[in-house]
Amino acid sequence: MPSLRINGTDHAFPGDALPATVAELLNALEIDHATVVAEVDGRIVERGRFGQTPIREGQSIELVRFVGGG
Amino acid sequence: MGPVFFELQQATVGIAGLGGLGSNVAVALTRLGPGRLVVVDFDCVEADNLNRQQYFLDQVGMHKVDAMLDNLRRIRPDVEVVAHKVRLDPANIPGIFADCDVVAECFDRSDQKQMLVETLLSRLARTVVVSVSGLAGYGRSNAIQTRRISPRHILVGDGVSGIGPGVPLTAARVGIAAHHQANAVIEVLLEQWSPDYPEPESCQA
Repeated sequence: MPSLRINGTDHAFPGDALPATVAELLNALEIDHATVVAEVDGRIVERGRFGQTPIREGQSIELVRFVGGG
Repeated sequence: MGPVFFELQQATVGIAGLGGLGSNVAVALTRLGPGRLVVVDFDCVEADNLNRQQYFLDQVGMHKVDAMLDNLRRIRPDVEVVAHKVRLDPANIPGIFADCDVVAECFDRSDQKQMLVETLLSRLARTVVVSVSGLAGYGRSNAIQTRRISPRHILVGDGVSGIGPGVPLTAARVGIAAHHQANAVIEVLLEQWSPDYPEPESCQA
């Protein structure tokens, strides 16, 4: 089963259903694109490139979600 | 009396937003010691802000950067502050914070936090970012934590408590988060500017 390491935890995707891009991954996890900072293998992926940034088996992904208030 | 950490006189810290987080971070850092602050806010002080922000009733209507500069100089007359009355966006962020060793993300809206942190981390090569997510409400003091996400990104907050109906922003809990931020800034600066400084007993790594 394909897997990704997301925020330090292994996350398995059943079948061949590994999301193709950062945007698809966020959709699968039901995360609002406008409020998340994404890092793939230590590199920041800008929000405008979520749809073009491919995801590959075994990558390490950090997703920092912001909620309002300050 | 001068600041606590004289060895940080050469350090520059950015504070993006002077609301509940930023006004408290600015006051704490002025007492602690970084040589220069770069503060940015386009807003004016409103009466509603006084429930958690470090301004006074007679400052309502002033630009926050002007009011904060007055307040910081009353604490430390020699504090060096570069003030910008602008709305931050991806085009002006890299230039405004170019000289900062650390930037504290002190915005209110979640999409603005995202924009600022993403821009700082992707466009500036060495600046460390201390951001906040999850500080609304009251109680649960110990749910607010400081975590190192990556070498250049430290995140403060409980991660879940956004502002909403029945979940107000309060001076006490916003203050806890702001002081986590100021404390993380000092820790980063001491590692950078004074590597021989004794490490705190429990590290946040």
